[in-house]
Amino acid sequence: MRNIIITPKRIKKELLILLVCLLIAIAVNIAAIISYQTSWWEILTQMGYEIAIALVLYFIFLIVRVLKFFILKIFSKK
Amino acid sequence: MTSKKQNKQSVDLSLRQFIKDLGGIAGGTALLASTPWLQSFTVDKLSELKKEKARLAVIGTGSRGQYHIHNMLDIEHLEIVALCDNYIPNLKDASVLCPKAKTYTDYKKLLESSEIDGVVIATPLNWHAPMVLDALDAGKHVFCEKAMALTMDECKAIYEAYQQTDRVLYFGLQQLFDEKYIKGIQMIHSGLLGDIVGMRCHWFRNHDWRRPVPSPELERKINWRLYWESSGGLMTELGSHQLEICNWAMGQRVPVSVSGMGDIVYWKDGREVYDSVNLVYRYANGVKINYESLISNKFNGMENQILGNRGTAELAQGLYYLEDDDASPAIQQLIAEIRDKVFSAIPAAGPSWRSETKGKYKPYAIVKNTAGVHSGASMIGADADGSDLILSSFAQACITGEKAKNIVEEAYVATILCLLGNQAMAEQKTIYFPEEYRIPYMKF
Repeated sequence: MRNIIITPKRIKKELLILLVCLLIAIAVNIAAIISYQTSWWEILTQMGYEIAIALVLYFIFLIVRVLKFFILKIFSKK
Repeated sequence: MTSKKQNKQSVDLSLRQFIKDLGGIAGGTALLASTPWLQSFTVDKLSELKKEKARLAVIGTGSRGQYHIHNMLDIEHLEIVALCDNYIPNLKDASVLCPKAKTYTDYKKLLESSEIDGVVIATPLNWHAPMVLDALDAGKHVFCEKAMALTMDECKAIYEAYQQTDRVLYFGLQQLFDEKYIKGIQMIHSGLLGDIVGMRCHWFRNHDWRRPVPSPELERKINWRLYWESSGGLMTELGSHQLEICNWAMGQRVPVSVSGMGDIVYWKDGREVYDSVNLVYRYANGVKINYESLISNKFNGMENQILGNRGTAELAQGLYYLEDDDASPAIQQLIAEIRDKVFSAIPAAGPSWRSETKGKYKPYAIVKNTAGVHSGASMIGADADGSDLILSSFAQACITGEKAKNIVEEAYVATILCLLGNQAMAEQKTIYFPEEYRIPYMKF
């Protein structure tokens, strides 16, 4: 059985990506609050939506990175 | 005893508070324009009554009559001095509620009494016109249950008699004294919903409308609602309230035509009146009332929806909804906008084909803590629906002698519309509002 080792560096990188996704989600919410002229409290009260959007972005990035990994692997074999 | 005293005080305070609340809301002048019948009921006028009491008689002591008696017993400025019914079991039941009241079996004898200021009539519909006309003729103030009368000619006769008398005449359109209807209509008149573009009213129950009959010869007397000789069916019993609300919302405008269908779909038990009706009333400007009533399914309950281009009011529930509701959080509005753009981008199903659901509308209460209090299920009367306040106002009017504006006219219009609806269903054709039944109050 093959051991998969997740290094502290990898964990740190993934958490950083997740943090960036969360910041993007919060930025989207801030843009929406400005656009629709609603309360600034929504940055906190709509945290659930922000986390959900962050997770969606994270998985989109994940898919992109996995695709990038396989494409690079194919080209490196050639 | 203490409880009863407290109850009386609370009803009296309720009327005072009701008047104060209405006077206190923004746009008091606009409110009185929407509800001119309340002009007589200021706090000052109420306090002028002091210890005076209207001496009232109740004619018709069945379920609705006894419901009124219960309300009347809690009103300080009236006393029930007489009861009348030609069905003895009901008269006995009512006598238990007010043992000091003198009893009669003939209403004409009752009207001869000089100790009675006014009468409350809660009899079958076919008795409304003769009793109202005789009571006015006898110099009594009159409160009569809706609808106004069984025929259009009788309605006209009552309306004309009212023009000639100095007596007070009320009809049991309790929603005229229901705070959520009053404020709801004022909101509509203020333009909150934009232009009224349509109205949808329905009343659904699952009940055969029958009452137990002790012997067969009493069938038509007790189950009077089921026969055309004494009833206008669903239209006069239920629809009259709702059509009145529509016309109130439209600011005295009256539909010019009506068409519809009525059938006995489920309760095929020998009754004559329809148990299922669907009608369309059309105003001159094209606005329509869609009216539907059914008594073999109660899923939809009762509702009066006023549809405007900017929002919708559900007056029975005491709620309103806005078409462009910006109350949702920004992020949700953004997601909804993106979703709408994605779906509208489908070439085969553009924006006009997208299904629009009610889910996105947020309900707002017209009056706090009153939303959803009247489901329309009760056969006799709902709580807090204005029934006690309209009786209290009637009693006050009996003392002051001041007529309430528009109540008779509203009842006249609503009843004529109900009867025209019945005619349209019976003749299966579009009926136009007849010239001979038009009154100056109406706008077309």
